[in-house]
Amino acid sequence: MSLLSIRNLRTEFSGPAGIVRAVDGVSLDVAPGEIFGIVGESGCGKSATCRSILRLFGGAPARVAGGQILLDGVGDLAAMPERALAQVRGREVAFIFQDPLTALNPTMRIGRQIAEVILRHRKVSRAEARQAALGLLRDVHVTSPERRLDAYPHELSGGLRQRVVIAMALALRPRLIIADEPTTALDVTVQDQILRLLRERCDSTGTAIILITHDLGVVSQVCDRMAVMYAGRIVETGAVREVLDHPSHPYTRALLAALPGQASRGRDLVPIEGSPPGLIAPPPGCRFAPRCRLAREDCGSGPAPGLLPRPGTAPGHLDACILSEVPDVAS
Amino acid sequence: MSLLEFRGVARRFPVRHGLLDRLARRDRVWLHAVRGVDLSVARGEILGIVGESGCGKSTLARIGVGLQPANAGSVRFHGAALDGPDPAGRIQMVFQDPYSSLDPRMTIGAQLDEVIARYRAGLGRAGRRALVAQMLDEVGLPQEVAAKFPHALSGGQRQRVSIARALCSGPEVLLADEPVSALDASVQAQIINLLRRLNRDKGLTIVFISHDMNVVRYLCDRVAVMYLGEIVELDDSARLFAAPRHPYTRALIEAVPDLHAPREAVAAIHGEIPDPFAVVEGCRFAPRCPLAEAGCARPQALRPLPPSGAVRCDKAC
Repeated sequence: MSLLSIRNLRTEFSGPAGIVRAVDGVSLDVAPGEIFGIVGESGCGKSATCRSILRLFGGAPARVAGGQILLDGVGDLAAMPERALAQVRGREVAFIFQDPLTALNPTMRIGRQIAEVILRHRKVSRAEARQAALGLLRDVHVTSPERRLDAYPHELSGGLRQRVVIAMALALRPRLIIADEPTTALDVTVQDQILRLLRERCDSTGTAIILITHDLGVVSQVCDRMAVMYAGRIVETGAVREVLDHPSHPYTRALLAALPGQASRGRDLVPIEGSPPGLIAPPPGCRFAPRCRLAREDCGSGPAPGLLPRPGTAPGHLDACILSEVPDVAS
Repeated sequence: MSLLEFRGVARRFPVRHGLLDRLARRDRVWLHAVRGVDLSVARGEILGIVGESGCGKSTLARIGVGLQPANAGSVRFHGAALDGPDPAGRIQMVFQDPYSSLDPRMTIGAQLDEVIARYRAGLGRAGRRALVAQMLDEVGLPQEVAAKFPHALSGGQRQRVSIARALCSGPEVLLADEPVSALDASVQAQIINLLRRLNRDKGLTIVFISHDMNVVRYLCDRVAVMYLGEIVELDDSARLFAAPRHPYTRALIEAVPDLHAPREAVAAIHGEIPDPFAVVEGCRFAPRCPLAEAGCARPQALRPLPPSGAVRCDKAC
């Protein structure tokens, strides 16, 4: 049973040079209570995919140009008028941004901001909303929560601010939280705490999370399943341990090989030469083919290949490489 | 003999002290970014400096290159005290953000030419142009880049330009402050390879400041760990990562997500990065330390610990 089912999503941005197909045929499923990671490098469409779900484009000239975004019990969010979608935001699906400071109102005390969210959607008194805010701060392990209720965002550290943002996202008990690089601005020790918190909230409330990150380590630490995106498309998906320990798409392998690890000390790293294609007129065939060391002639022609299972891999582990054998590229 | 040496270097910044504060006769408040750092950088090594935001690692680098004076202590280069930037440009710096450290209105060639003209006054136009070409080649950029403006380059290319510009004066030491943090993994690998090659082939000494423990472990020969303005541990990279001895170093390494293993059940450390204004007697890490006990309230000295390295924790062994 899927909580969210995205089918063949296409999202376009209109730019000065033409239509940018930021998301071009993405399909994925998220089950209740799971953390689904979407990884990829800048411009791969991971954020655009997730912003499409709630149509949160921040004023950018973007539109969902095709596909379905099916939320269990609610319907197709892609086909929903703006007013109906506003009812879904926060209540069914909440969003956590990378920078907690821009997500919080600098002139409003923490307690009041969380209470506002509750008051807007629920019929409760101010006192009850404040009490609920206090409970939420406790849930996200904010120390001395009574005192923090009356603090302004600037008085809190980065980690505490992100906890407050998570408390706000949890306020209406949404079934899905979309977290866009929630720990990228944080130090590694604080990141560790926030990731544990997300996992714990997910396990105890059954809320599902889509976690967008460029950091494969973060995915390894908290996610159940994952998708790797490249140039607007998913190139590999599956259970996290499967994809990271037995990657099958050349791009996923190249990405892992480029990371400095204990084993690579004393040897040169293996970068991916070249840069991702422009998405106004993406190349035919596999979009990674121009940079792929294994590419054959037919890789660069025809429609972009879709996700398929590979003989010998675990169920649910799919990749979009047409080669029947993908030898290890790490030298 | 050390090439670049920090001796008891300290730096504090005044915190806004308004009229009301003065009327109320409140004392001026200081942020102590760096508190008495002793560190020597040996010729030809890559020394890593790691720590969380606000630990003073960037301030230390800026003092090293002479962008900021120290309030106490001294920086020595080739054994002589350095007062401000080295006039011959033998110590250079590369910053995290190549977008803001290049001039958007000048071509890459003109920007490199400017630096060369400053440090090598004897060179004529043709000589400078040849050197620009050589610098681009050095960092693996095609010659066409000279005619381009920064906006026409990718992030990785811009960071190569920043490095080329730092190399124009023929430096002996490069202080690199988070030079790969803003780059995607595939591009990051290119820049790391470039720094390694400059170190190995040209003997360039590099001080590499980073919060990324994986990159530091891979690249650096020695590592200094900073916490709230102090060095808490210093050791060979391999030994430090294999057997960290300061509880903070241990926590920092444990917090790094592992690509091939699920997370540990218990968090490495609790608590936030502390308020740098808070006055802590004794060990500054004690409020977050799992091993803290009464004895930690007395000041801890950075003491040598065999077989190599030094640690600022009385309980470490």
